[in-house]
Amino acid sequence: MTTNQDDQTQKIGEALANQSARTVTVLSSLLAIEDAIGYIPPRAIEQVAAYTDSTINDVWGVASFYTNFRFTPPGEHTVEVCWGPTCHLLGAQEILQAALQALGLSEEGDTPDGKISLKYNTCLGACSQGPVISVDHKIIGPQALGGLKGDAMVQRIIEIISQLKTGASNA
Amino acid sequence: MVSAITLAIDGQEIVTQAGKTILQAAMEAGLYIPYLCYYPGMKPFGACRMCVVEVENGRGTPASCTTPVADGMVVSTNTPQLQDLRKGITELVISEHPHGCLTCHRTDIHGANLCGPEDICLRHVSVTDRCVACPKNERCELKDTTIFVGTGLTTPLTYKYRNLPVLTQDPFYDLDYNLCIVCGRCVRACEELRGDSAITFTDRSGISLVGPAHGTSLLESGSEFCGSCIDVCPVGALVESDYKWEKAVENVSTTCPHCPVGCQLKLDVNQRGKVIRAIPELEADANHGQACFKGKFGLDFINSRNRLTTPLVRRNGSLEEASWEEALSLVAEKLSGYRGDQFAAIGSYRGTNEENYLLQKFARVVMGTNNVDHSSNIKPEMLEPLGEALGYQAATNPIWDLEDAKCILTIGTNTSEEHNVAAVPVKRAVKKGAKLIVIDSREVELTRYATTWIRPKPGTDAMLLGGMLRVIVDEVLEDEDFLKDRCENLDALKHSLWRFDINKIEDITGVSQDDIRLAARTFAENSPAAILYALDTVPQSQRVDCVNALVDLALITGNVGKPNAGLYPLRPGTNDQGSWDVGCVPNLLPGYQAIDDVSARAAMQQVWGVDLPSGRGVGINDVFQSVSAGNVKAMLVVGDSPSFSNGDLGDIIETAQSLEFLVVQDTFLTGLAQVADVVLPSVTFAEKEGTFTNLERRVQPLRKVLDIQRTESRPDWWIICEIAKAMNGQGFDYHCPAQILDEISSLIPFYAGITYQRLLSKKGLLVPLLMPNFPLPSQLHPSTGGQNAGIQWPCTTPEDEGNSVLYAEGFPSGKARFIPLEMGEAPTMTTADFPFLFLPGRVLHQSQQEMEIVVAGQKNHIQRDELLKLHPLDAADMGINEEDWVEVISHSERIRAKARLTEEAFRGTVSATFLFGDLMTRLESSEDPDPMSRVPRLPLTPVRLAKLEA
Repeated sequence: MTTNQDDQTQKIGEALANQSARTVTVLSSLLAIEDAIGYIPPRAIEQVAAYTDSTINDVWGVASFYTNFRFTPPGEHTVEVCWGPTCHLLGAQEILQAALQALGLSEEGDTPDGKISLKYNTCLGACSQGPVISVDHKIIGPQALGGLKGDAMVQRIIEIISQLKTGASNA
Repeated sequence: MVSAITLAIDGQEIVTQAGKTILQAAMEAGLYIPYLCYYPGMKPFGACRMCVVEVENGRGTPASCTTPVADGMVVSTNTPQLQDLRKGITELVISEHPHGCLTCHRTDIHGANLCGPEDICLRHVSVTDRCVACPKNERCELKDTTIFVGTGLTTPLTYKYRNLPVLTQDPFYDLDYNLCIVCGRCVRACEELRGDSAITFTDRSGISLVGPAHGTSLLESGSEFCGSCIDVCPVGALVESDYKWEKAVENVSTTCPHCPVGCQLKLDVNQRGKVIRAIPELEADANHGQACFKGKFGLDFINSRNRLTTPLVRRNGSLEEASWEEALSLVAEKLSGYRGDQFAAIGSYRGTNEENYLLQKFARVVMGTNNVDHSSNIKPEMLEPLGEALGYQAATNPIWDLEDAKCILTIGTNTSEEHNVAAVPVKRAVKKGAKLIVIDSREVELTRYATTWIRPKPGTDAMLLGGMLRVIVDEVLEDEDFLKDRCENLDALKHSLWRFDINKIEDITGVSQDDIRLAARTFAENSPAAILYALDTVPQSQRVDCVNALVDLALITGNVGKPNAGLYPLRPGTNDQGSWDVGCVPNLLPGYQAIDDVSARAAMQQVWGVDLPSGRGVGINDVFQSVSAGNVKAMLVVGDSPSFSNGDLGDIIETAQSLEFLVVQDTFLTGLAQVADVVLPSVTFAEKEGTFTNLERRVQPLRKVLDIQRTESRPDWWIICEIAKAMNGQGFDYHCPAQILDEISSLIPFYAGITYQRLLSKKGLLVPLLMPNFPLPSQLHPSTGGQNAGIQWPCTTPEDEGNSVLYAEGFPSGKARFIPLEMGEAPTMTTADFPFLFLPGRVLHQSQQEMEIVVAGQKNHIQRDELLKLHPLDAADMGINEEDWVEVISHSERIRAKARLTEEAFRGTVSATFLFGDLMTRLESSEDPDPMSRVPRLPLTPVRLAKLEA
């Protein structure tokens, strides 16, 4: 039991030590941890406080300010649906509604089985390929799906998401 | 020299200094600008925009709390445009703040509530947001400000209620974030005023609030429960949970009875004569608006139902109620049979100067004995070397001088718990970059702030200090000018230092040479440097050596007689300084005249009109041995004392039972009172007048906050006088403590200019001097100082303002005298039955150890496994492995903890660090009427270990 915790402590420690940011700050430290383990567990707040010579309350103030930090473990897979202006015009809403329905969610969040975390994203930076989603940080859209468009594309995306849910490897 | 600046505010020409903000300049000139997030003493923040002004030729409407003054500035604070702006701002602020109190027609123009007790609320507000449900009703800054700026609430009750749960699980605090306006005063108070960080801003935008990390409990966030955030909260979001909804009908400023910092507190009294709240005085020189958990939440003993109401006399083996006449005549009759050294008097831990003066006068004049002491005087060695080397047995500098010290050395003191407010300037100094050297084998809160934390083997502190002195001499780090002009006997000291070989010291103390050198250099090279010491961890045989070394250390580095430096002995009792000053000790007459000094005794005999006993009497440390030996047969004990119950003096209750006659004056029927022959009920500090002298020599008044009600108890000074008069003692006809202080002032040269009237004439804070029409009763008005200042002795004439820094103009005997050091031996602090020495620690927050907050009985509690650190070799001897459960057994306590083996631990010692939050939950639920006077300390204790089977 303790080994899991020690493991995490170590991972956080490594993430803190190996930051690439030029100036190490509370924020850069939190980002490094989120990148490494996907969320900010309570122990990470403590570790960042010790590492940056600040207090847990200061770190918490920063961490809770930014909505991109999450404090519970993410699902096994992360699906982000872009709803930036371009994707929106190109049909992001259909993808979003279909994805929510496929996952049994009413808004962004985690599926009850902990398999998938669905997030809205204001721009994935791939406007030319829109509408896009990202699955575990990999962009999927018409281009990645061999030129599929419209309902066919939405259907393919839902298939991909559903495969994640059943545990089959993604496309 | 700060340059003067002239500006015009609303047509009035104001001269002020550069660096001030417009708001400050205006307030000082008697012009009010509405504000909410500003608070006197804090840095500019500019969050609420309530204090907006217009500056001629300037852009927009800057916040006056963040705009610095400039020469020739022309400022308007109240144009129609600004009035509109402010109305808009208040509307925004109250759009999420329940404000039925502002829109009800049953409030008068000042916002006072006109509802009668039987009236039904006409606003149809939900019960939770009615005005009577707000704990700050009628003392709310937001409400007052809204009325002041004239916001016409044309659309009443359109606020959005956030529906957040009211948090009442933490000890002493109630948090209702539905009322929070996120002005951030509390977060800034914690950080800027206290040097802590227990709360922060959480989340952002519309849902942003304040609170502890993870949003759970103050118990785990590092709160020291000082109540500073409550004091600054302008609304009802943060309040004391006790007497939450009670309204004050009166408030009186007085001195806190809990420790020798002597915080000035404003006590709120309700219409039933109960003290409901304590608010530290913002401008008091002793505490600068700060208090601690004891002063803030530990005064309810005044209101206790368990107080003694009549004198008690033992009849047929049990204590029964009696009249004052009966009790006093019995005491007089019995004590008459024990004149001379068969009698001893022990003064109170909280006795005023007047009472302790009278007690020693009673013992010496009426009883003819020098057996007199005060119950907190268990470490007299802390002071004596100061008198010997420097002149006065007192701290050299004021408490708040510490804030600007460049280096602070603390030794054996848990300042943040036992003299909490004195730790505030220390933390603030560290934030400003001062070096903090903590010498303590225990882990206490200040160790978390330390630049260097040195843990010597227990009992070797004096050798360590000798080693530091040796390094200073070897490396020529002395302050040569100071030594040449103002000190003598340096050669003797240097000569004595040759024994302090650094290799040997390293061996004895277990502190590496590098650390010793580092500490010595840090202390010598960062001037001014101050020393705080309580010697909690220093065994009795080492204390004199230790203080000698500290005095030498301060002198050799030139840190005496100048601001922000000096020595601070931190004694336990509230009025220890005053008790010494007035001679309530077995070896001194008032004014530090030695009892064996024939001429001093003769002078005193002249005044008191009787022959005085010679020869040192027995004091608190030896009186109970004398009782056991049958030498002392009768005693008068004033007040309860932690020393009676914390084990420092052994089991004194049992010893006291062997007395032939015991009189106890106390407020409660304490352990000692229960075995007394006569118990005389005395009032609390809040019901009497008198003076306390705090640890920085500041004589401060006790004001009468309450009349004596529902009880026949009397002030201790009155009781002592009555006993003395009943025994035909001459010179005990006093009608008030002021008269007694006059006598003290006439006897003690350094009190000569101090009178009670002088102390009282410095009025309390909420009497605005410059602003007779100060509009908002709930807002603090910063005055120009000189309030609740007290007087720091020496004060020799009625015009003398007192002296904050001793020896600034020289030493009383010309030069300070170095004390040569002796290389003592570390004493054995363990016994055969208890072979390990337990080093307990307590801190606010410990990140290395997992913990959990659980709710039990609607209150938060900390749940975690305690860790016991011990040396692997010791563990191997005992067959203890890492993570094994171990029981630590002392003569009075048992603690269970998990073993953690570490080479850092000294052999023969074990240590564990507990959490302050845990202590808070225990204090809050304590059944003791006055638990804050018994906060468990952290003594080094001999223990044995027992391995527990899983």
